[in-house]
Amino acid sequence: MPTPILVVDDSVMARKMLIKALPSSWDVEITQAGNGIEALAAYRAGKAEVMFLDLTMPELDGYGVLETLQREGLNSFVVVVSADIQPMARERVRQLGAIAFVKKPVNAEQIEAILREYGISL
Amino acid sequence: MIDHLLLTPDQRDALQEVTNIAMGQAGSQLAQILESFVQLSVPRINITESAAISTGIAQLVGTPQSITAVRQAFNGTLRGEAMVMYDQDGCRDLADLMGYEDDLDGAADRELLLDVSNVLVGACLNGIAELLQAKLSFSAPTIMAENVEVGRLINPQQLTWNYALLVEVHFTLEVRDFTCHLLTLMPEESILTLKSALDTFMENF
Amino acid sequence: MAVSLGDFIVSEVNVGVFVVGRDHRLQLWNRFMAHHSGISSEDAIGHSLFELFPDLPQKWLAKKIDSVFVLKNSAFTSWEQRPYLFRFAHNRPITGGIDYMRQNFTFMPVKNDAGEIEAVAVTLIDATDSAIYQMMMHTAMQKLEESSNRDGLTGVFNRRYVDMRLHDEIQRIDRYHVDPFSVLLFDLDHFKKINDTYGHVAGDEVLREVARRAQAVLREPDVFGRYGGEEFVLILPQTDLSGAYAAAERIRFEIAADTVASGDERITVTASIGVAQYQPGVTSAEKILSMADEALYASKHGGRNRVTVYSPQQPVTP
Repeated sequence: MPTPILVVDDSVMARKMLIKALPSSWDVEITQAGNGIEALAAYRAGKAEVMFLDLTMPELDGYGVLETLQREGLNSFVVVVSADIQPMARERVRQLGAIAFVKKPVNAEQIEAILREYGISL
Repeated sequence: MIDHLLLTPDQRDALQEVTNIAMGQAGSQLAQILESFVQLSVPRINITESAAISTGIAQLVGTPQSITAVRQAFNGTLRGEAMVMYDQDGCRDLADLMGYEDDLDGAADRELLLDVSNVLVGACLNGIAELLQAKLSFSAPTIMAENVEVGRLINPQQLTWNYALLVEVHFTLEVRDFTCHLLTLMPEESILTLKSALDTFMENF
Repeated sequence: MAVSLGDFIVSEVNVGVFVVGRDHRLQLWNRFMAHHSGISSEDAIGHSLFELFPDLPQKWLAKKIDSVFVLKNSAFTSWEQRPYLFRFAHNRPITGGIDYMRQNFTFMPVKNDAGEIEAVAVTLIDATDSAIYQMMMHTAMQKLEESSNRDGLTGVFNRRYVDMRLHDEIQRIDRYHVDPFSVLLFDLDHFKKINDTYGHVAGDEVLREVARRAQAVLREPDVFGRYGGEEFVLILPQTDLSGAYAAAERIRFEIAADTVASGDERITVTASIGVAQYQPGVTSAEKILSMADEALYASKHGGRNRVTVYSPQQPVTP
């Protein structure tokens, strides 16, 4: 059965770049969201076993999504994908329960390494 | 008349993303300088007519009572000017955050503004150029105006272009009330170059 | 051919060019630098910039150069903020009026194929001419501004300028919470009669002499201006009411101490003075002037040639 994954970014371009960087062998069902509110809706609909989450977004940003998930009991592998490369940003998202932090622009090897590290079968 | 200058939704989206990535690098350097966490904004993009430039800028940066602005020209694949704007408190905060004493004199104060602006402009525009495979060089930054109203920053009668592309990002510190805006302005011919660079960039995905 | 042409230009161009490594040792030193410093490229290359030039602001400059290695981005300095780094003579030795060559620098990262920064290339542009022009312009602007701030007859500040300073002073207090200031308003007694009796030329002479006598009493930070007609205003920064009263008494005394000579005439002059103090948060510029004016009015009514300090109990209009 394909893994439901959710790609959250306000930029269509960024979502495309990320989707392109996913391992081709990975059997997934991809849902996309353009902001945090859409992301939470998709998550609640069970579409986000793995979530790739941008931080800087209108409406509700990535921190807001992580906070909400944490409040409601996190049940998803969240990989933060962000241009914000400050060490403190990294630290914060980890504290909010994200399993990894990927710097933009994303590269395929990095994503694959993270997925393998967490035993996600590809 | 300006249809050929307008960005398509895809181009706009790509420029926003490219700017966002570049801004992350600028923000991280600012964070290192100020030793404080910097919040990044969602980049905003506008095409403006020269007559409406002041209103266009005011819409993007808001209208604090008065601002101090540093300008820096760039040329190469893309040509234009970048401006970094600080409100009055911003200038003072900057000196404070960098550990300068109260008795910072005018020249040292300006040097600090110029240095910080140069770092932001360099990191942000070089970041954009790198992603779009463009080459840029920069002129020395200069103080454009000190403590003027946003509306009086640019005199539209002196402009030699009709339309320009405006890209705005801002950096905010959460520990204190500090915000600075980075505005990039490019005239018509650079917009066309930029559009085709964005198209090439998107073709790779 | 292209390489040697490039070398030729770097060497001969009338711009300073040098290259430093991470260790701040020089890797290139062109003729402009050699010529102006008196240190040949043979003597310069391989040596530390800071050993060759102990006068350089080492801490600051080292940080600037190091920032180029770290940030991989060009850095700049302008003579407007930092007039010079090297103590070079300039090309206006006679007419210049400034000490050393004014210098603009650009610090450029030199990248290798791997994109790492190997060195920093520095250019020095002689900005002495621009500096001199700007200095001349600045002086001219200052004169112009100065003259637009002055009262044509007496040479003391005019109303526009005093009003501006009054607003500045209020802002300064509201922002930095320095000690409040006082305002003193004074008016020559029976000036219309002086004009009518001795003529306008004599009247003008009286105004000039009164301004001179008042100015002799002032301290450096005081702002003194003619407010129109025979009325003068004085802002006394960081002065409380008792200090302002003492200053007002001295001015009153100095004005009345001697007659004013105009031709053969000896004109007796006295002044009535009103004093008020700024109350932070309570007083506006208009308010403090009207307070001083009320006190002045009381001086007039009390018999002239006297000082009145504003107090809220004072009747607003008798």
